[in-house]
Amino acid sequence: MKPAIQSEVNKGLNRYVVFVYILTIVLIFLSKYISPSFGSFAQIKAILVLSSLTVLVALGQGLVILTGELDLSVGKIITLSGVLTSMWLGNGDENWLMAIPIFAILLLVGFLNGYGVAALKIPSFIMTLAMSMIIYGCILGYTKGTPDGMSPRLLEKLMASNWFGLPSPIYVLIVVAIAGYFLQSRTKLGRTMQVIGSNRTAAHYAAIPVKRTIIFAYMISAVCAGLTGMILVGYSGGSTLNLGDAYLLPSIATVVLGGAAISGGSGNYLGTVGAAIFLTTVSTIIQALGISIGWQNVIYGLMILVVLILYRKDIYQMLQHQLRGWSTKKQEAA
Amino acid sequence: MSIKARKLFVLSMIMLIVLFITACGNSSGSSNGGSSSGGSSQSGSAAGSDGGGSGSETKKKFKVYLSLSYSGNAWQNEAANIVEALAKTPPYDEMVELKKVISGADVQKQISDYQSMIADGADAIISFPISPTALDSVITQACEQGVLMFMYDATVTNECAYNVSYITAGQGQNTAQWRVNQLQGKGKIFMSRGVSGNAVDIMQYEGAMSVFNRYPGIEVVAEYYSDWDDVKTKTNTLKALAAHPDVDGIWAEAGEYGAIQALQQTGHKMIPVTGENSNGFRLALKNYANEGLTGVSGGSPPATSGFAFKIMMEMLTGQLSKDEVPHNIEYPLPWVPYDQVTVCEGSMFENGCNAFPEDKVQTSFVTEVFNKDLVPEISLESALEGKPTPGMTIQPIPKEMIKQAPDIPGINCTNCNPPEDLYPLNLELVRPFDQ
Repeated sequence: MKPAIQSEVNKGLNRYVVFVYILTIVLIFLSKYISPSFGSFAQIKAILVLSSLTVLVALGQGLVILTGELDLSVGKIITLSGVLTSMWLGNGDENWLMAIPIFAILLLVGFLNGYGVAALKIPSFIMTLAMSMIIYGCILGYTKGTPDGMSPRLLEKLMASNWFGLPSPIYVLIVVAIAGYFLQSRTKLGRTMQVIGSNRTAAHYAAIPVKRTIIFAYMISAVCAGLTGMILVGYSGGSTLNLGDAYLLPSIATVVLGGAAISGGSGNYLGTVGAAIFLTTVSTIIQALGISIGWQNVIYGLMILVVLILYRKDIYQMLQHQLRGWSTKKQEAA
Repeated sequence: MSIKARKLFVLSMIMLIVLFITACGNSSGSSNGGSSSGGSSQSGSAAGSDGGGSGSETKKKFKVYLSLSYSGNAWQNEAANIVEALAKTPPYDEMVELKKVISGADVQKQISDYQSMIADGADAIISFPISPTALDSVITQACEQGVLMFMYDATVTNECAYNVSYITAGQGQNTAQWRVNQLQGKGKIFMSRGVSGNAVDIMQYEGAMSVFNRYPGIEVVAEYYSDWDDVKTKTNTLKALAAHPDVDGIWAEAGEYGAIQALQQTGHKMIPVTGENSNGFRLALKNYANEGLTGVSGGSPPATSGFAFKIMMEMLTGQLSKDEVPHNIEYPLPWVPYDQVTVCEGSMFENGCNAFPEDKVQTSFVTEVFNKDLVPEISLESALEGKPTPGMTIQPIPKEMIKQAPDIPGINCTNCNPPEDLYPLNLELVRPFDQ
């Protein structure tokens, strides 16, 4: 039963990805009925700008999920990188050589995550949760509560600029989407991760370097989260100790909503990008409904569930299976 | 593999920690250098005060605890630094032993922290309370032991503690009236709120709505919780701007600088924004006023902690008696309209200046750390690093500045009657345009 569902997902994957994009476009079109200014170029620009950061974190998270693991430390890695960027790069002299130790720390954190998970077999959510606590403790100790420095001028200018009528975060989104797609679906590394995620034992017997690949996935994830932190500092003009907290759950949600299996082995990065844009669109539209904040959250949660149930074939079939079992039981009882 | 692997893992973990410690070492090294220089100037000024004839003999120091909720935003740190700087300013440096405890966002932790402070023989506790009601029984315990309890900014209902706060000073209704005046009673606005369910957010929001509801021409087209955070305010404002590009004004709680950034990012024309005290906002008010950013800056001042600490010290030393200090003390609302923003040259609010150049502090720095009447001892360095201002001694509080705040049940008292009008306008700051 399970393998059948699995292959179904893989077959339907591209159709699903196209569906996410079409749904988003339809939503933007329909939103004209909520606010007349919706459907405009300005709205689409705003949505893409807001999606760009989630898309970048979700790239690393997606690779880790592809190998069948999870990275719960991305939120704190974003904060770590943001704080170090403002303290080491934004302290006035803007010595960009200081970016080297920042990236070294990011790679080390990713390496430790991967090493703990792959070599020491520590469950990934424990390992990465512990790592995020350690990181947070270090930041709190180092900054004594308030990060010094500010956003490096260059970064701030870069994030606030417009090229050919488009704000720069949109270019970030496009570059990341293309790079992520190639990395995940067109390189050997990406395919290796997929094989590891779908059957780790088989991968091991096929002489695939399982440990090394998982460590790579975590290192890429740490760098993606780190870049997000840097961009976020440029985008917001400074860093705080909860800079990255809002990005952890969206990074996982977009990957899953984008068609990847949370158990690993399948996924398409373009789906993730589509899901990020879709979720931002939904939240933008809901906010414009002018209903109370509580109901906004309820609708947001329901939208995610409805989309998943209707168009993720595996989940839909599982639900049908459950309902069938329930109705036969009822009949038997009658 | 396992033993070798484990060794390697432990080794690399140690490496990580060492890396951080060396990094910390660097920064604390520099700050040590700073504080030692601060120390020398401090001893210099202490000698000066001795010469001045205060001639304090060595007696038992008062044991005072500073209990914070969470640490990690500019406001909380500045407030704590102000208390630390005052405790090091002569003659308090010879009279007080100050210990700082961070309780986090968990009210149970703060309760147990208070208990250990009481057990340790504290003379006084100055604190940012996490909850107005949950600390009730531990505060009663403290009072029974003769511990003086002072709360700043956030309040408690227990009447044996003292609240020093701007919460009753009407931030919501006064900024809202200003907003209405600028729009001549007509227009679409956004409301960027704080943390949902928080008493401060409710007071500010209800205060603002009490004004907006009087003007049928004012339409609140979007309302969102931004948790007093710049990035969240920016994100939410971007979303709201996509739906309502024809918005005429924004009423924001702390995090207001994010709203300005959102306007800039979308290339939207500048519109009037009201907000709290961030340096970024004040500078923006100055720089973009002629483009249409006509707003007012007024909100929660970190200097409240310093005012609370000084009243507490004067009670400990007997300069103020119990009957002179009410349970609820009001801190005046900072109020800086766009045409009064002036950038400071030094590190104090002098000659009417009320903001700092952008290369001196982060945009999120909360400017209201100064008050020439209540805490003249504080400089920018005090707020940023907890250092005393060289050459400064503690100035007595003018008694007429200790003003009783109105009672608000559930927020700063329990069995009490609220005033008839919970949200009165301060007519010295703003008058309705149509009256």
